[in-house]
Amino acid sequence: MARTITFIDAINEALHQEMERDSRVCILGEDLGMGGGVFKATAGLYQKFGEERVLDSPLAEGIIIAAAIGASLVGYRPVPEIQFADFIGDAVDPILQQAAKLRYRSAGGYSCPITIRVCWGGGTGGGLYHSQENTTWFAHEPGIRVLAPSTAYDAKGMLIAAIRDENPVLFFEHKKLYRTAKSEVPEEPYTVSLDEAAVRRPGRDMTVLTYGYMASVVMEAAEEMAKRGVEAEVVDLRTLAPLDKRTIVESVRKTNRCLIVHEDTKTLGIGAELSAILNEEAFDDLDAPIMRVTGPDIPPVPFSPPLEKFFMVDKDKVMAGMEKLAGY
Amino acid sequence: MATKVNRATAVREAPASRHSPELLLGLYRMMVKCRMCDEKARILFKQGKYAGNFYSNVGQEGGEVGGAFSLRKDDWVAPSHRDWTSCIVKGAPLKACFAQLYGKTDSPDRGKSTPAHMGYPELHIITPASTIAAQLMIGTGVAWGLKRQGKDSVVVSYCGDGATSIGWFHEALNFAGVHKLPMLYVVQNNLWAESVPLRLQTALTDLSDRAKGHGITGVSVDGNDILAVYEAATKAIARARAGQGPTVLECKTYRWYGHSEIDPAKYRMPEELAEWKKKDPIPRFEKYLADRKLLNDQIKKQVRDEITHEIDQAVEFAENSPYPAPEEALEHIWA
Repeated sequence: MARTITFIDAINEALHQEMERDSRVCILGEDLGMGGGVFKATAGLYQKFGEERVLDSPLAEGIIIAAAIGASLVGYRPVPEIQFADFIGDAVDPILQQAAKLRYRSAGGYSCPITIRVCWGGGTGGGLYHSQENTTWFAHEPGIRVLAPSTAYDAKGMLIAAIRDENPVLFFEHKKLYRTAKSEVPEEPYTVSLDEAAVRRPGRDMTVLTYGYMASVVMEAAEEMAKRGVEAEVVDLRTLAPLDKRTIVESVRKTNRCLIVHEDTKTLGIGAELSAILNEEAFDDLDAPIMRVTGPDIPPVPFSPPLEKFFMVDKDKVMAGMEKLAGY
Repeated sequence: MATKVNRATAVREAPASRHSPELLLGLYRMMVKCRMCDEKARILFKQGKYAGNFYSNVGQEGGEVGGAFSLRKDDWVAPSHRDWTSCIVKGAPLKACFAQLYGKTDSPDRGKSTPAHMGYPELHIITPASTIAAQLMIGTGVAWGLKRQGKDSVVVSYCGDGATSIGWFHEALNFAGVHKLPMLYVVQNNLWAESVPLRLQTALTDLSDRAKGHGITGVSVDGNDILAVYEAATKAIARARAGQGPTVLECKTYRWYGHSEIDPAKYRMPEELAEWKKKDPIPRFEKYLADRKLLNDQIKKQVRDEITHEIDQAVEFAENSPYPAPEEALEHIWA
């Protein structure tokens, strides 16, 4: 039976259900056991499953991820947590050089089914070191999935699918969505495809490619623009690596225009790759240059409210971008 | 009269070993095998038989063999790039080891990684990477999993002196200490981290002191004394199996050759190398065995002949093994 719950409750429910279903699933990270996590994403798990399966780790991201990798080699399906994406630096070697390459460098002899939950994103006054997006640090590396769901429904279904997936996965949870994104979510476990983008809104005039918190901002902007006669097709990427090129290209072939919206800084954000893909595969279908509305190329994200507002993409900035593209 | 003769004989004879002849000769054979395979690997590289690079372990066989010789099949090894021979100690077939050097399809990774990065999943040898101390962290994670499963298997990891400086070494030791994990960290202190001498690496004299800061056991031994290493490692492994926690075992030794085969190691004084060659762990153990009448020239020759034959077969196998098809580069990225 479905009921309306928040994004964070959907994540918490997915963790509870997967841990109940499969005794190989265990979690570890900072403050997530007895404390239930700084955002309470892991609330109740320690009380239900105990320290054996819900481990408060030392304050050291490298060993959090490496311990998960090692445990996966002996049959576990660990779900380590990185408290804030900004703190992931110490774990970059374990993630990129170990987990992502382990299958490859052992020719399939080893596999590494870990799901790394990472809290990311700005717009909550977190400032520098509590707001950053760094999805593209990882989307660049073959061998690790990078997910960034935007709805409570997808959060639950994609997290369950990720835990059951044999590949290492980075599961980015936007903190702004934790309590603002709500949707009808079935009580029972289910999975959502990790290979497909979702068309959130059909439209004929332009395609808007986005993901994460920006997906909700873009949807609001698209509704406003519809009143002005511009029907945008909103494609929520959901999975940033590997990208669902088919859905992206098919949508742009239909609409002939493309706007890319992301919160991440502009240079070498995922938009650069999306633009290159469309240039390679849909050049003849384009009636206008591909345009981007993104975070500016400044250290993400400055703290003072006016500075954060300057950084964050909002509805007005998206609408301005859509106006510009529609008028080209 | 008879008493006098006996006394004289007793003075000349070395005290009996605590270990069985089978074990002693097993350790000896394995050290010679590692030395001969390593030297062969160097020659093959210099002959241009394979690309990439090779990181010789010659001179360090005491730690390499002693550290893992008593492991069971269900135990794990986490090697570094300098521990190709640790695969031999754990029981990997020489054919696979040499195919690894050549990057052929009969190597465990089908040519994906480099000559130095040999793993062997069936024998629980973790495929190494070049990023320093990563193998210690992954190995520690394996030990965490094994302990959670209630198994009494252990993990032996290898690293050099240089790896004790990086943060990940300490994250691993700290985690292993907190959870009393079944880990043995073998630190091959060969005095040089590539071209950097130990005095610029650390203010410590004994690298086993690194363990103190993490509340775990640290032991330093003469790494060129195979029995000292074997006994310390076996004790540490028994402690680990019994749930008494991890150990850092520093083996004081010396790397005979350069960091890799393209490094002539001109930064070292020839006198230092000459001094350490006098402490070669193999002749030293040969004397120990000969003193106990367990080894003579005939047995030595027999051991070397057998290993030479096995190496020749392995090299021939590796040379005849096919290269992967170019498209294989696309395989094994995703499940």
